Amino acid sequence: MEKEKKMKKPKVKLGKLEKREARAGWLFVLPWVIGVAVFMLYPLCQSFYYMWFNIRITPLGTKFIPVGTGNFTQIWLENPEFPQQIVTYLWQTIVEVPVIVVFALMIAIMLNGNIKCRGLFRLIFFLPVIIVSGPVMNMLVSEGAATIPAMNVQSIKTALDNFLPHSMSESIGEIFSNMIMILWYSGVQILIFLSALQKIDPALYEAAKIDGGSQWECFWKITLPTIKPMILLNAVYSVIFLSGNEQNSLITMIKSAMFSGTKEKGYGYASAMAWMYSLIVTLIVLLFFLLLGSKKDIYDRQVKRRKREMKKEARTVKRIERRGIRNAKKIKKARKKRNYRTYDGSGDY
Amino acid sequence: MKKKILSLLLACSMVFGLAACGNGDGGNSGNTGNADNSGNGGGEGAGGVTTENITLTFWHYEDPTTVSLLAEKFMDMYPNITVEHRVIEDMSTDLSNAAASGTFPDVFEGTDSDTALANMYWADISEYFDADPENQNLMATISEYGIGCFDTSARFAVPMMYWPSAIFIDRNVIKNLNLEMPRTDWTWAEMVQLVKDATKDERTGMKYYGLGYYNRLDSLYGIAACSPDERALKGEFGFDGTDFDLSYWAVGEQEFSDLKLAGYVAPQQDTAEMEAWSGNWSTWFGATGRVAVFSEGFWTYQNLWGQEGYQEEYGLDIVPYVTPNVVDEKEHNVIANMYMGGVSTSCKHPYEAYLLLKFMGWGIDGWKARLEIYSDTSITNDSGMPLKNAQMPMPITLDEEVWEGYKALFPQDDRKPYWDDYFASVTRPVPYGWYSIAGYWNFCDQYFNKIGIHDLVDKGSAKAADYVDEATRQANYYHAEAMISYFGPGGYDVLSDEELAKYQAVVDSFN
Repeated sequence: MEKEKKMKKPKVKLGKLEKREARAGWLFVLPWVIGVAVFMLYPLCQSFYYMWFNIRITPLGTKFIPVGTGNFTQIWLENPEFPQQIVTYLWQTIVEVPVIVVFALMIAIMLNGNIKCRGLFRLIFFLPVIIVSGPVMNMLVSEGAATIPAMNVQSIKTALDNFLPHSMSESIGEIFSNMIMILWYSGVQILIFLSALQKIDPALYEAAKIDGGSQWECFWKITLPTIKPMILLNAVYSVIFLSGNEQNSLITMIKSAMFSGTKEKGYGYASAMAWMYSLIVTLIVLLFFLLLGSKKDIYDRQVKRRKREMKKEARTVKRIERRGIRNAKKIKKARKKRNYRTYDGSGDY
Repeated sequence: MKKKILSLLLACSMVFGLAACGNGDGGNSGNTGNADNSGNGGGEGAGGVTTENITLTFWHYEDPTTVSLLAEKFMDMYPNITVEHRVIEDMSTDLSNAAASGTFPDVFEGTDSDTALANMYWADISEYFDADPENQNLMATISEYGIGCFDTSARFAVPMMYWPSAIFIDRNVIKNLNLEMPRTDWTWAEMVQLVKDATKDERTGMKYYGLGYYNRLDSLYGIAACSPDERALKGEFGFDGTDFDLSYWAVGEQEFSDLKLAGYVAPQQDTAEMEAWSGNWSTWFGATGRVAVFSEGFWTYQNLWGQEGYQEEYGLDIVPYVTPNVVDEKEHNVIANMYMGGVSTSCKHPYEAYLLLKFMGWGIDGWKARLEIYSDTSITNDSGMPLKNAQMPMPITLDEEVWEGYKALFPQDDRKPYWDDYFASVTRPVPYGWYSIAGYWNFCDQYFNKIGIHDLVDKGSAKAADYVDEATRQANYYHAEAMISYFGPGGYDVLSDEELAKYQAVVDSFN
């Protein structure tokens, strides 16, 4: 018991100043905490509850009719549009995310270079994030601003059709139709890469150049490994952005199901759709995490292994020490009882 | 200290912001199902109208300037009633949000009856409607076919805004092509023949097309195929009040497709075909002077062709014709857009709300007020358009005084006989399915539109007749299921056991 007490950290009573600072800290984060609780956790729990019901919102009150897994079976078995859209979404996201990330990285490297009017160019590349949102984006798409006129999308689709299944070639073909729009989605990612690039120690490049490293080698050996965590971050951000923006037909479908007046649809049906969709989005995020999640390099692994070995050695030393103490006690006891003899050289033990 | 004040301010603003988001009435979690027709609350004046000061909310699809002026007239008649109104942007979104937040309107117009019935938005107003003598003088099909009753014994809605289908003919084109103007009580076959005769490609200048369409001919044919003797078709897709029979539709669909494929139909706006024909992607065929017959909406005349100087500018001379019937009979049913209006189930003053509904829709007082507003062309809406050119509907009352005033709003020159004949022949309206048939929209949304029948038949890759059996089976199922759901024990509960069993048998046979 005494030992346990010793192991516990002593409770430190906060001083007046620290208490005040802690309170101020809590007050600062309070809006966020309330926001998360009210606008995220509560709707999340609510939608989880809703998905097991058929909900009718009448002027006299809300009717909850339990349907069990009825909403799910209806979505998968009676709504052919949802599975189709999910397949399209999967292909598009898997192809679009690398396009966005690579484009953002290229632009970030260029904007990080020593060029004239660098500030202006940085502003230009971030502008779409501010301007092209919601209805503006919808209008631009409807006016055909998302396509590159010189690109013959139909030929690309036909070519893809020759060696890919139709649903896959159609989805990938759509990416070429919306190429400009996809590139417009890169604003935030460029910013993240830019900040990561600026944090790389210039001494590394200097040392590499002294050793005769080319720009190409510097990119692969210094830049890319250093900003690798940012690639994962940007990939995840892109997946979430593509999955939740207004151009996503699944979002439109969920929204229209939510406000649909038909008796099968409504809040319950839309909630079930949204939960299944979020599960699929999570799976895609996991996929990118598995692909891009940082793996330690050989040096890191060796250090880790050495640390493990050192810990093991320390444990062995402690064990030997403990055994020695135990044996010493045993000998002491036996001596007291006088039945402990040491070897006297007579040949008898 | 500064930090503390700043954080306090942030937290307070957040909390107050959230408080402001709430509706404050504690929400509606009760579930009584039926309409609250419990009375007027407070004292009653002449005619049973409350003497209390009350406010009624009216949501609609009309021009807001027109409704504001009408609301003023209504408030002059009932000084203790204040009317607040707003335009509905999207019916299901606006109304479901209003129901969830407890701000549901007292009276509203709807374009999709399934939404209103599935969520029990409309209250049963039979008591008020049946007791009102003015309603005896409405167009015959309203009571004959129970438009607004949805094949039940109760009335939930009444047609508020009525626009009959119309066929317009450009007299200039007929003259240029040396053709005869058809008689005003023409038949379907005569119309199709005119479309064919008026299609001419002279290789010099733009081709003449026989037909320019907004309404597909198969929609019109669905009602036109019904002979006045049988008068069995109460709605689209061969609906007779209980069952569908899409064989009527299939004939019209195939005929329309054949006309399109044979080149008798003008290209639509914003298509490559239009660019090839007129040289401009965004040209509308109704402004080319090269199309003889138009299956346009009735409002196209008011909103465009009827505007001063429009026809002169584009060299048009447009006159209306009734949508013809397959049988040579003067009086026949015509398909129409009929926005349904009703009193909401949450309304606390249903009688007063009914009076407002009637005034804004079909009532004689309301129409007299409308005619005053429409005849004064100096009154314009926000777009600067005289109100008679802004979505003016047609009366469903047969009151002569109202009709006299209404007809005076249309051309009084040599086109007058065409207009008079047209008005005389649109007194038996049958609404499009989504206004009047339970389950119709579900059927279209989940079956008919999903498999893209129109596109397949229009392209010539399928025949309409191939879909008749399955589409009829599906339509009957969706209707029966909707009837049970809306009007059975889980809904309004107005169906008898026999009716329920009949609809249940259809559902069971489908499964």
